[in-house]
Amino acid sequence: MTITKTSARIWFEIHKWTSLICTAFLLMLCLTGLPLIFHEEIDHLTGKEPEAKEMPANTPKMDLDAIEEIALKQYPSNVIRYMFWQKDEHPNVVLVSLADSLNAPPDVANFVSMDERTGEVLQQPRFDEGFMYVIYKLHVDMFAGIGGKLFLGLMGLLFVASIISGIMLYGPIMKKYDFGMVRAEKSTRIKWLDLHNMLGVVTLIWALVVGITGVINTTSDIVLGLWQMGQLAEMVEPYKNTAPLEGELSPIDAAVKTAQERAPDMNPSIVAYPGTIFSSQHHYAVFMRGTTPVTSKLIKPALVDARNGSLTDMRDMPWYVNMLFISQPLHFGDYGGMPLKIIWALFDVITIVILASGLYLWFARRKSAEAQMARIESMAMEMEEATA
Amino acid sequence: MKTFIHLWKYPVLLGILTTFGLLAALTGTGLWHVLSWIAMVIPVLVCVRYGFFLEKKVRRTGN
Repeated sequence: MTITKTSARIWFEIHKWTSLICTAFLLMLCLTGLPLIFHEEIDHLTGKEPEAKEMPANTPKMDLDAIEEIALKQYPSNVIRYMFWQKDEHPNVVLVSLADSLNAPPDVANFVSMDERTGEVLQQPRFDEGFMYVIYKLHVDMFAGIGGKLFLGLMGLLFVASIISGIMLYGPIMKKYDFGMVRAEKSTRIKWLDLHNMLGVVTLIWALVVGITGVINTTSDIVLGLWQMGQLAEMVEPYKNTAPLEGELSPIDAAVKTAQERAPDMNPSIVAYPGTIFSSQHHYAVFMRGTTPVTSKLIKPALVDARNGSLTDMRDMPWYVNMLFISQPLHFGDYGGMPLKIIWALFDVITIVILASGLYLWFARRKSAEAQMARIESMAMEMEEATA
Repeated sequence: MKTFIHLWKYPVLLGILTTFGLLAALTGTGLWHVLSWIAMVIPVLVCVRYGFFLEKKVRRTGN
């Protein structure tokens, strides 16, 4: 890859400015991301993970309507909005999410986790407090809501641009040297320049993938909105002029079983109750998860009429929702066991070194440019004095 | 072309290893996870090798 001097100059300016703007935020993201890689283990150690006790493998599950009743007993004035299952992480545990009303803000909720075979209440966890919550919020939106989230997405885009401009500069700098060259015996600045280039080019793909998937994750609210207006609206089209639901809903257990009959090779992952942001006014939305490595990352919604319990529709999610779901593991690094998490953390630490050394190089270069300028000025002065 | 290969041989190789590692763990289980760990630990080891064990002399290449 040969590029001319002028284009190298332009790429250098792009690299400098995109990096300068995003570096502070990227450092924050890398630092907060580090404990988040291990959030499962940390939650486990701090006793925040619900664990159902050992029982024979084929112990029957409790009726979900009874689960509902037990959850409501913990928060009698609340309504149930969601049920969650994480079969792999928390086998035999169902998490019920309740709130004052169906349209309370999404992050205002009470939770009850239960053993789905015995109905034993395991925990009433709070997800909106503690160290890990602060770290998580900083990482996702800096406590600034959707605006903060999209702002971090923009910083992610700048990060991607700085990686690409960095690749364009690697060629001209390294043309005359072997891979891995680090000039340790010259100045500190040269040593760190070489380290910055070497670490950057080696971790290139990882940084690009985590950067791009991070940007995609910041669009989650937009993706949800698109899905509500698109596929969800299409699926509930026949109900457009139906009067709002009143009185008792059809049994939840039967609704989940109906969805399961339609997709026997899948497991329920989320149930959204009628009137919540993940469903229509008239349906239970049962989101089914597959069992293969890839399909377990995707979910498939089944809409069950909450008046008569019949299945209205079941479809695959549109591509933009699936793209979001596939982006999540690729950003979190939580899909390949503990060794992958450790590798993820090492890449993260290397990225911190690249960011910090980039910042140092900018300072050092400015200083050396200033020193050079001062030398030129004093030389000019001397010449003037000599000719005077 | 010679310069290009000289410049990008190792970066491309490491990029392929990383890509393979990222996808192997996503699409497979068991052995694929192990292969993913092996593929992805190599770039990390390269960083350690060239980052911590600095050579005293710089070898310039012919071109």
